[in-house]
Amino acid sequence: MDFSIQKKEKDSGRKHFAAAIIGSGPAGLTAAIYLGRSKVETVVFEKVIPGGYVVNVEKIENYPGFVEGIAGEQLGKLYAKHAEKFGAEIKCEEVTKLELNETPFRILTSLGSYTSDSIILATGTSNRKLGIPGEEEFTHKGISFCATCDAPFFEGENVIVVGAGNSGAQESLYLSRFAKHITIVELLEFPTAEPILIDRLNENERIDLLTSHSVTSFNGDKLLSSVDIKDIKSGEIKNIKVKGAFIYAGEVPNNDLVKDALKLDDKGFIVTDERLRTSIGGVFAAGDVRNTPLRQVATSVGDGAIAGHEAYRFLEERK
Amino acid sequence: MGLISEEDRKYLKEEFKNNLKREVKLLYFQQEESASEYSEQTKELLEELASLSNNLSLELESCDNAEKMKSEELTLCPSIKVKSERKGFVNFYGVPAGHEFISLVEAIKDMGSDNLSLPDEVIKDLKEIKERIDIKVFITHGCPYCPGAVRNAHQFSLANEKIKGSMVDANYFGELSMKHRVSSVPHIIINDRNGFMGNLPPSLFLDKVKEALK
Ligand SMILES: Cc1cc2nc3c(=O)[nH]c(=O)nc-3n(C[C@H](O)[C@H](O)[C@H](O)COP(=O)(O)OP(=O)(O)OC[C@H]3O[C@@H](n4cnc5c(N)ncnc54)[C@H](O)[C@@H]3O)c2cc1C
Repeated sequence: MDFSIQKKEKDSGRKHFAAAIIGSGPAGLTAAIYLGRSKVETVVFEKVIPGGYVVNVEKIENYPGFVEGIAGEQLGKLYAKHAEKFGAEIKCEEVTKLELNETPFRILTSLGSYTSDSIILATGTSNRKLGIPGEEEFTHKGISFCATCDAPFFEGENVIVVGAGNSGAQESLYLSRFAKHITIVELLEFPTAEPILIDRLNENERIDLLTSHSVTSFNGDKLLSSVDIKDIKSGEIKNIKVKGAFIYAGEVPNNDLVKDALKLDDKGFIVTDERLRTSIGGVFAAGDVRNTPLRQVATSVGDGAIAGHEAYRFLEERK
Repeated sequence: MGLISEEDRKYLKEEFKNNLKREVKLLYFQQEESASEYSEQTKELLEELASLSNNLSLELESCDNAEKMKSEELTLCPSIKVKSERKGFVNFYGVPAGHEFISLVEAIKDMGSDNLSLPDEVIKDLKEIKERIDIKVFITHGCPYCPGAVRNAHQFSLANEKIKGSMVDANYFGELSMKHRVSSVPHIIINDRNGFMGNLPPSLFLDKVKEALK
């Protein structure tokens, strides 16, 4: 059993900051490191725990410098520690509202309210829902979006994973340590995960990959007991018995705070220029929440560096 | 090396020094007969924690002591109840390991101080509650969304002593989890009957608690 500290909050009691970062994933915490080193009073708000989505990922294998890979939880902790080292204040509070029409910007959270001269949005994404019958009803009753949280409930059971991209492939490999059998259902004719992950899926006896199939409904009584899946080519519908379903069928941006205030692309991702400026001066966006061609730790870290640097420049120019 | 790293020990010493204004006791009910790695490690952890502050102590009790369990209003064992002169029922059924370790640290700090990190309107609403409410938050050690829910339950109890807040290790208490159909965490059960799921900010958490009481 692991007993290590996940968050080390410092509370200055301050209510106004020069820079406020929303989201403490790789993007947000990298921005905090850059701002901290520029001696900008910085706060980072986080609604779950510091580290961002990576804390859910068992092992990150493609982040440069960690040749043997690094546990996501460990990487998240290192980011938080690094940001705090340079003075950032991490607050475990959910931002519930942003008022961006005048400066300083106003930030309302689950515990209070703050103001800031600049804002970096680094809220990441959430798993996309399928929008099919039974999904709402059985969410948290068999349907899960977090393998590291819920895999132990499916020890020795049959489960499906929806989506054969990198996330679905990685989480299937993790789940195979608990579940008896995993069927990955992929809409496309081929899996989109990295070839190295596809090799591992093929080598794993507990995992079957069904391409050109889609899930059409989740069924059960009080808990999920089966899913209907459709063969896209033949139109045939099969029912398979499963206790669990993990959905990794793409992402939606966590844009609720700004969807009426900032320019978004047609999928709802925040539109930025190459300096990560949004449609409002002093408001920047970084990482998975913005319109970017690749959503990974390495790209989010790069974004965080640019956004932190640009927020600093913005604050300097205003002086 | 102990269960807590040298770096974390240093940090915790400082945190306890700054936050424990009164004595806090960790009351650990353990299963003596079936002394498993689970309960042994828990004991070791609590001993290490207690060694980090003069204001923190450990009291060991046996799960067989039904009378004491009853007087503490505990229904499951093993259990760690965090006690002080401050009113409130702040409890852990099973081990707060992994992501939950921080919940134990926060609970100790809360019991040793007058801290209440809830919005004013939530505190006001909580104080108006007249009925007894038992909040059990089912967790797994790998769940990053769970500490927020555990903290809400504990803080609610500090705001109104009619409320009991407990973390429940869903894997360890497998049968109970099955009884409440827990298959995803955090899963919150109110008065051993109705429940709700997910990590919610305090105001929404309170709405859900009230809804579950109906
Ligand atoms: C299953 C899976 C496996 C993955 N594996 C890899 C991998 O192996 N390698 C890799 O490079 N990438 C991987 N990724 C992708 C990687 O996790 C993301 O690209 C990265 O975490 C994005 O960083 P971010 O900082 O933009 O956002 P996130 O990490 O998503 O962080 C955003 C943070 O903002 C917080 N937040 C959101 N709204 C609010 C609010 N209103 N108030 C306060 N806080 C808020 C969230 O709680 C979250 O902590 C994986 C993703 C998934 C889903």
